[in-house]
Amino acid sequence: MTTPRTRPGLVLVTAPLVAFLALPILVLVARAVAGGGLLEAVARPAVISALGLSLGTTAVSLLLTLALGTPLAYLLARRRFRGALLLETVIDLPIVLPPSVAGLALLLVLGQRGVLGGALEIVGLTVPFTTLAVIVAQTFVAAPFYVRSARAGLAAVDRDVEDAARADGASEAQLFRLVTAPLAGAALAAGAVMCWSRALGEFGATIMFAGNVAGRTQTLPLVVYSEFGAGDLDASIAAASVLVLAALGVLVSVRFLRFGRALDTRGG
Amino acid sequence: MKRTGGLLALSASLALVGGACGGPASAGPMELTVFAAASLRDAIVEVERSYEAATPGLDLVVATDSSTTLRAQIEQGAPADLFLAADDRNPAALAHAGLADGPPVAFAANWLTIIVPSDNPGRIETPRDLARDGVRVIAAGDEVPISRYAAEAVTRLAALPDYPADFAQRYVANVVSREENVRAVVARIELGEGDAAIVYQTDARAATGTVDIAIPDEANIPATYTGVVIAASAQSAAAHALLAWLAGPDGRAVLASFGFGSPR
Repeated sequence: MTTPRTRPGLVLVTAPLVAFLALPILVLVARAVAGGGLLEAVARPAVISALGLSLGTTAVSLLLTLALGTPLAYLLARRRFRGALLLETVIDLPIVLPPSVAGLALLLVLGQRGVLGGALEIVGLTVPFTTLAVIVAQTFVAAPFYVRSARAGLAAVDRDVEDAARADGASEAQLFRLVTAPLAGAALAAGAVMCWSRALGEFGATIMFAGNVAGRTQTLPLVVYSEFGAGDLDASIAAASVLVLAALGVLVSVRFLRFGRALDTRGG
Repeated sequence: MKRTGGLLALSASLALVGGACGGPASAGPMELTVFAAASLRDAIVEVERSYEAATPGLDLVVATDSSTTLRAQIEQGAPADLFLAADDRNPAALAHAGLADGPPVAFAANWLTIIVPSDNPGRIETPRDLARDGVRVIAAGDEVPISRYAAEAVTRLAALPDYPADFAQRYVANVVSREENVRAVVARIELGEGDAAIVYQTDARAATGTVDIAIPDEANIPATYTGVVIAASAQSAAAHALLAWLAGPDGRAVLASFGFGSPR
């Protein structure tokens, strides 16, 4: 693990990409701060209500993902079965799919004229263009991030430790709660954080499937888009700054969960 | 224990969402969802203020976008009570599809103008300059009402004396960007990312940092703003009342203060 001496040539070659990646965000934040109107813009009704909606919907979609995704991740990590690879591919698909495609697909299934639309109508449930649609869109695009991370974390837990706990009389539920989950804790938490941030940033599937109604389906990323479209650049920048802060918070917490440090040492 | 807790949290959150989406059964003010053309964006805020003041217990929820986008959303089941379009085609299409409750009602009129950034980088002096080589024209998508009105105005301009015969083709060739709706077009000009755009006079009035270039009366197209109550609305009586108010003296006074005229 010796650190190679940094060569000036290498720095020169890397500088353009670093500048390219950093400059737009720096300018956005600088503009938000230097404009002086940031606090006033953040306090606008459109931004405030979108912030509340974003926090509420991402909390529910994260809870849904944890409740339904953890058993799935456990299954994928622990059991060998035919079709496991196919299942993993299907689950990973939303990660690489353009979100607008996800939104369109959701509309074709859960829309009023979608394949499940009639059944939902009988139950009296309207999904598209409601707050529920925002949660559905977020869960669809974000859940795979959690399942991936959780599966890797659970698979890395030493089976001998689990067997020892079993030998000591632990039930399967106790085993998961007291041994497996804590050992995979960092990966579970990192997956949850990544899932939440993806849900917070969700735009394409939301605007296709949930529309853009203030206070109901207009989340922060949609405010960035609509306020810009409406010519209110200050409000757009304010909403964008909130999202930049959240993104920074996510990266810092993922590092803090030592998930990132493991990646670092591998490269060093 | 943990599993039960998770399930409880899950069902609690689902119940919460269900409650949030529950329609008229919920207590509190009655919510009326209005889908309005992007060009109504400023006016609708004032409409909301005056109408809510005049109608206690009513809360208007407003979404604005291109009339065509909103129509597509309504066709896909978006829970709108009232649709206020910048044309008569989109409400007519909903009525034709059986998605409207009652006939469409014309409630306002608007006219077209050209806007350019105040420093006028494209040196646009008359509508004729829109066809000059190298002028960056911003427009909306083909299906957006403003684009159809603009196309009609351009055709009429082309027929005027001292306009080149291929004026319309040259105008289309100069279009560098097609936006989602007319407000996005105005924003591009405000940011100086284009030299000129054909927009509604009301948008030009609300824009900052832009200058108008008038379109001659003989080429100008009156846009007829038309509203329709959505058949699936659970509050159709309230929606009809708002539409009638808009088309009546109080609504027209509010709309007139933003530069809208009365429909023919």
